[in-house]
Amino acid sequence: MDAAVKTLRVALVGVPNCGKTALFNRLTGSRQKVANYAGVTVERREGERTAADGRAIRVLDLPGTYSLSPTTLDEAITRDVLLGRVAGESAPDLVVCVVDAVHLPIGLRLALEVKRAGVPIVIALNRMDVARRRGVRIDLERLSSELGLTVVPTVAVARGGADALIAVIDAPRWMDLRAVATPQWQAPSAADAEQTQADLRALLANVGYEAPADSAWGRRVDALLLHPLGGFVVFAVVMFLIFQAVFSWATPIMDGIDGSMAHLGAWVKTTLGDGPLPSLLADGVIAGAGAVLVFLPQIVILFFFILVFEDSGYLPRAAYLLDRLMGWVGLSGRAFIPLLSSHACAIPGIMATRTIPAWRDRLTTIMVAPLMTCSARLPVYGLIIAAFIPARDVGWFNLQGLILFGLYAAGILSAFLVAFVLKQFGGARRYSPLMLELPDFQWPHAGNLLLGLWERVKIFVNRVGGIILALMIVLWFLATYPAPPDGATGPAIQYSFAGRLGALLEYVFAPIGFNWQISIALVPGLAAREVAVASLGTVYALSATGDDLSTQLEPVIAHGWSLATAGSLLAWYVFAPQCLSTLAVVKRETNSWRYPLIMAGYLFALAYLASFITYRVLS
Amino acid sequence: MTQQVIVGVLVVLAAGFCVWKLMPARRRLRALLALDAFAARHAMLAGWRQRSLKPRIARAAGSGCSGCAANVGVRPPNRPR
Repeated sequence: MDAAVKTLRVALVGVPNCGKTALFNRLTGSRQKVANYAGVTVERREGERTAADGRAIRVLDLPGTYSLSPTTLDEAITRDVLLGRVAGESAPDLVVCVVDAVHLPIGLRLALEVKRAGVPIVIALNRMDVARRRGVRIDLERLSSELGLTVVPTVAVARGGADALIAVIDAPRWMDLRAVATPQWQAPSAADAEQTQADLRALLANVGYEAPADSAWGRRVDALLLHPLGGFVVFAVVMFLIFQAVFSWATPIMDGIDGSMAHLGAWVKTTLGDGPLPSLLADGVIAGAGAVLVFLPQIVILFFFILVFEDSGYLPRAAYLLDRLMGWVGLSGRAFIPLLSSHACAIPGIMATRTIPAWRDRLTTIMVAPLMTCSARLPVYGLIIAAFIPARDVGWFNLQGLILFGLYAAGILSAFLVAFVLKQFGGARRYSPLMLELPDFQWPHAGNLLLGLWERVKIFVNRVGGIILALMIVLWFLATYPAPPDGATGPAIQYSFAGRLGALLEYVFAPIGFNWQISIALVPGLAAREVAVASLGTVYALSATGDDLSTQLEPVIAHGWSLATAGSLLAWYVFAPQCLSTLAVVKRETNSWRYPLIMAGYLFALAYLASFITYRVLS
Repeated sequence: MTQQVIVGVLVVLAAGFCVWKLMPARRRLRALLALDAFAARHAMLAGWRQRSLKPRIARAAGSGCSGCAANVGVRPPNRPR
């Protein structure tokens, strides 16, 4: 028997937001993102666990779906994987249908459909702890006998909460069943759907199911959060306070990191003396990568709030609130989650558009997603705001936080504006209503929060220590060689490869107020936006002469740039598609070069125009 | 001179790393698979292949690139053309 034959393949299916990914993490030891709203998983994920007898078990986490008749791309992925329709991949040997015990009917309906497809199936009745607390009554033995399936209670978010399911999955009997199971499924007719509904009602009556009572405080909170006026006020206040916190709370830690980097750079130069290696370490690595690392506290604070909202169940309510507004500008209500995800990074945001059923709606969302302010822009914004905006209060508010809030708002408003313009070119369109299940409110799970923050810290530090560091070493080389000719009077960097390129680019960018140092920084900044900050750190460290030597970027640009240049660069970063990975993802998701090229063209044009206007006005 | 050699090596390594990281995910996976096929033909690379290369391939194949085999043939249900 070879390894492929010995490996059991188990797929997790269920309706959105029933806890599949939390269960997947529990089964495989993975750390995939989980959140309290539908549509977090939009692609198939695979992990592995080892059974007690040493057999390898492959576990698939599939996007949530309400039925096997898909309306969106992510649901189609689930249906196709489940039924073995994906090229080069057989159907899973065992399906674990994850059913939210609090909302039993909707999950069981899918379970009945999957069972009819003829796949070996086990029911994982998840969130049993919450169900018990809320007085949901289910006769598990009766449910198991009525369905003719194994039913296992689970609590995916609790340690040991999936032990009973693990014992069932690890049993060797599934290996024998898989040879005889071939999924058979046909799109159900209206009569089939009615029959399924009748079967479900009978089943629920037989197992003594009693639906949970709505919690009184939950109703009261929803009445405020979903109120057409009050809801907007709460949303705006919450967003506003987040950006205040990003600046107010992060400053002491950022100052500490900044000071440490400056001391480290000075120590390297005084200890190692002159030569290419100390210059590479101080001007390339410490001044470059260190300039980005300073912004870690701001990113941690921003993501702390985003994770709290994700876990508490507030996000779908915000989506509901903004649905009408988004409809006015030509966006589907389903675009909210992808656009919100784009505030972390446009790439998962663009992938999350798979949950949007209508192609035109999906395309519009993809085209505007890069306008959302991703976390990579935060170091650029943070640097310029700290250098040019005084850290003083305006009334109760921190002025720097206000400017940051304004920049985020500018990104959102421009996305709405572009969507509105795209709508005018699209002709008459069918309205696609937002169908969204509002999850129960819950206190954010401390473990999820810490894990989510840890993942963000890891991603950021890996980028700083990986691609940003490597790019800075290459940039240091390009900004150091060739050496200046004898008798040269300017800084050495002006005679280097990078200096010459910067001088050429300056012709293009001079009308919008960018000097040659900024022009150089924009080139490696195409790999990732925050690289521009690192590049500025390296370029300015190498541009410094004599007494000007400094590895701290902020005072250097505050002294060297005009307010108009700073404003112009901020405007540039609100629009410019300074991220090649985003364009690559758009190509992949649209299966065409046409759309990434259109996107790059319109975003660069907007960026240049906005910077030009800003520069001229502030000058 | 020693400093220049060290700096030269670091710059070459950094440039190679940049090329690797900025390569499209699908092409990177193909390169890893080609490396795996090469390593399979050389017994002395067996340990490295099992220990380091295989997990890297598994990660690259499941890194959310949607260029992996699982998504081949899956298309938006109402995509034009």
